[in-house]
Amino acid sequence: MKKIEAIIQPFKLDEVKGALQAIGIEGMTISEVRGHGRQKGHKEVYRGQEYTVDLLPKVKIEVVIADSRLDDVTRVIVDSARTGKIGDGKIFVMDVLEAIRIRNDDRGESVL
Amino acid sequence: MQPSGLHPYPAQDSRTAGSDVLISLAERASFVDRLVADAAAELLFPAIPEGLALICVGGYGRRQLFPFSDVDLLILCANEDIPRRHKPEISALLQRLWDSGLRVSQSVRTPEECIAVHDQNTELNISLLDQRFLSGDRPLYAALSKKFPRFVQGNRDALMRNLVRLTRERHAKYADTFYHLEPNVKETPGGLRDFQFIHWMEQLREADANRVTAPEAPAELRQAFRFLAGLRSALHRQAGRDQNLLTFDAQDALADHGARDVAAWMREYYRHARAVYRAALRTLELWDAQSSALFAQFVGWRSRLSNSDFAVHRERVHFRAPHQLESSPELALRLFEFVARHGIPLSNEAMTQLEGRVGRLREYFAEPRSLWPAVNQILSQPHAPMALRFMHETGVLSALFPGLEQIECLVVRDFFHRYTVDEHTLVAIQNACTAPEKYGELLRELPQKSVLLFALLFHDSGKPHSDAAAGYAGHVEASLAAAGAAMRRIRMPAQEQDAVAFLIRNHMELSLAMQTRDLADPKAIQDLAQTVGTEDRLKALTVLTYADISAVNPSVMTPWRSSQLWRLYMAVYRELTRELSEQRIAESASRPGAELLEGLPVRYLRTHSEEEIAGHIALAARSEARGAAVEIRSLESAWQLTVITGDRQGLFAGMAGTLAGFGMNILRGEAFSNRRGQILDTFVFADPTRTLELNPSEVDRLRTTAERVILGKLDVRELLKNRPKPKPPSRRGRVPAAIRFDDEASATATLVEILAEDRPGLLYDLASAISSSGGNIEVVLIDTQANRAIDVFYVTVKGRKLTASEQSAMGEELRKACTLA
Repeated sequence: MKKIEAIIQPFKLDEVKGALQAIGIEGMTISEVRGHGRQKGHKEVYRGQEYTVDLLPKVKIEVVIADSRLDDVTRVIVDSARTGKIGDGKIFVMDVLEAIRIRNDDRGESVL
Repeated sequence: MQPSGLHPYPAQDSRTAGSDVLISLAERASFVDRLVADAAAELLFPAIPEGLALICVGGYGRRQLFPFSDVDLLILCANEDIPRRHKPEISALLQRLWDSGLRVSQSVRTPEECIAVHDQNTELNISLLDQRFLSGDRPLYAALSKKFPRFVQGNRDALMRNLVRLTRERHAKYADTFYHLEPNVKETPGGLRDFQFIHWMEQLREADANRVTAPEAPAELRQAFRFLAGLRSALHRQAGRDQNLLTFDAQDALADHGARDVAAWMREYYRHARAVYRAALRTLELWDAQSSALFAQFVGWRSRLSNSDFAVHRERVHFRAPHQLESSPELALRLFEFVARHGIPLSNEAMTQLEGRVGRLREYFAEPRSLWPAVNQILSQPHAPMALRFMHETGVLSALFPGLEQIECLVVRDFFHRYTVDEHTLVAIQNACTAPEKYGELLRELPQKSVLLFALLFHDSGKPHSDAAAGYAGHVEASLAAAGAAMRRIRMPAQEQDAVAFLIRNHMELSLAMQTRDLADPKAIQDLAQTVGTEDRLKALTVLTYADISAVNPSVMTPWRSSQLWRLYMAVYRELTRELSEQRIAESASRPGAELLEGLPVRYLRTHSEEEIAGHIALAARSEARGAAVEIRSLESAWQLTVITGDRQGLFAGMAGTLAGFGMNILRGEAFSNRRGQILDTFVFADPTRTLELNPSEVDRLRTTAERVILGKLDVRELLKNRPKPKPPSRRGRVPAAIRFDDEASATATLVEILAEDRPGLLYDLASAISSSGGNIEVVLIDTQANRAIDVFYVTVKGRKLTASEQSAMGEELRKACTLA
């Protein structure tokens, strides 16, 4: 099993979610996060006062999937989250040792 | 024994919640009494013939035992040794009861523990108010029941204080409202717990040294109690456990069972909850009034606010002559203005008097008449949200605006809404008025808070007429229709009507953009700027969006969302200021005199009504003959001066100086020039000493003086010479001056942003500093927030942007002007 963490632009959330659901990925965790990568923060001036906008708002999507679906899922996320501009985000993939359904103690890929 | 059984009675019909619900609760208690007594006789008393008694307390003690509810049992022991020595017997009893399906919630106490104040365990003290002997050592219990009333009487204040604290904490947990979409019938304000609270406070108040009585509740509350008790019974039966949450599923199940409309049925729930909640609030108020000497002093002080119509007594507003409501129903609106101004709640008496006359008010308000000034007054006051809440509570709001009636107690079902639509509306209005930090600043910068609040009042009023399944598509149109009808009936001026309609029409634009648009994409921002049009509208819409989103439920406005909204605001704001200098009206519209408009910023068309534009064209015609024309007119709470003339160096400074010379305080200003070099300057100013209002001839003198200054017949410095020097500001309120030049924002001019402490004549000094450094003022936006002046000048030198050295020289002059005093 693999865990995918995708950091994307907030306005792309609906699109990415829709695309994932279209290929049968129903379960996911979504959080509102802030951060920056190479698209660093910048300063903005409002009425003579400077505000530093160093952490930019992003959305993080987490999904755990069977190994066999890794390529599908990453491709769908990349396609649906891309605008081609700086700040589109990143995808991280990691191994998952075990998945357990708390309700009945089921284990393994069937839990996903 | 049937384990989950224990309901040997036929299931009750919870919706009708007839008289038998109380009987069935009592029968259930008797049934459990026998069960417990029998088990104790078998397992407990043979080993402990004396020194131990079983006492029923809490709901069980009151004989109101709900299916699957805890059975509160007090095991009263003569001393602490007994429970230690007889642990096996007590355990055997509890085990037996558990096995027979009872959820026993037991406590083991000595009589001494029962008559001590437990600040950390108020529930124990309170549960004993409903005590009832079941079996065991009767003399032991008799001793307690003799001492208990004396204990209550002696510790009345501490017990009441603890109970009030618990109640307030519970109310706060549910955001002090009973309008929850999925209420907890026990804990939510207006639930069974509140009914008990009223009852307990009554018991505590009435207790004397000999007995703790249980006075009977008023009929209205008894009816509500029956309804809520029936509901709780049904919920427990449905879930098979102590489950008090009236979820959407449970609502469907209960209403279907009675084949009734869920929405109508929920309204009945809210009606009962409201009766209970109001009674609970009355009880809390009574406690406040009795408990604090300091409060009493404050109350006395506030009573000085009384006037000929209203009296303030014990921190509540009363009518002096309520019967006058019959002959002059607008007295009701004045009452709410009083509440909105001073933040003093209505007395119960006044509420009842209003409620009794709602029919008359409705009749009176149904006729179109000029009510906007009164409504505007209410909405402009600092405590407008409180006044609206009382208007809603008493039914006056829907008497005034019948279009709002349909959202009363209206349930909107989705994953994130927590309140009914009317409550959502009131919470949103509250949020707008208490918006924090930057959003609060935006609110203070709005020219008319009342317009924003009016828009919020109606923004969701169309929800009942839209398709819930389609995400309430179309509710905006229906809300607009409801608001439009109301605005026409109260004769709101056209400009305010437009502003309200704009806000309602676009109330979802910003939140939609936050979710679906790339905020870094210039096109997306340009589109929004196009929709919004002006900074004032953007500010109002931003505050509205903030208030609306945060009123969905208390946790939805995360810092993340708040920063997204602010980013969007900033981006659109910048776009609006940028386009101000770049987008000009190109071709003359097909109307006589329209050449005036050519070359003015496009925004001019958006900020001025047709009527105003026609006025300006007429003014331009007048100026042709004399070289300049000035018009002064009175606005709602300020004055406006408009000038049209040929471009003259130093004109703006001259006008600013003239106004300062007359002691006027400039609030906002705009200066535009058209393609033919004509200048159109507008100043909105306050008249702090009411000179113009009290001496109409001064208006003419100001106009003539202004014209003479423009035509160079009078030196503005002469005018200013005789003005008293302003007092230097206190150190605390001092605002450091900030001056910033921006070459990026505009393609043709350099932007000079100045933030400085406001003072009379400041604008004149700044404009003079720019003119004397060779700058030509193309466009000006002036604004004031409290004692801060925020001025933006678009400046050119010889028709181009400023060079670096020109900027530093002008910056120096401006800095000097800011620190002049």
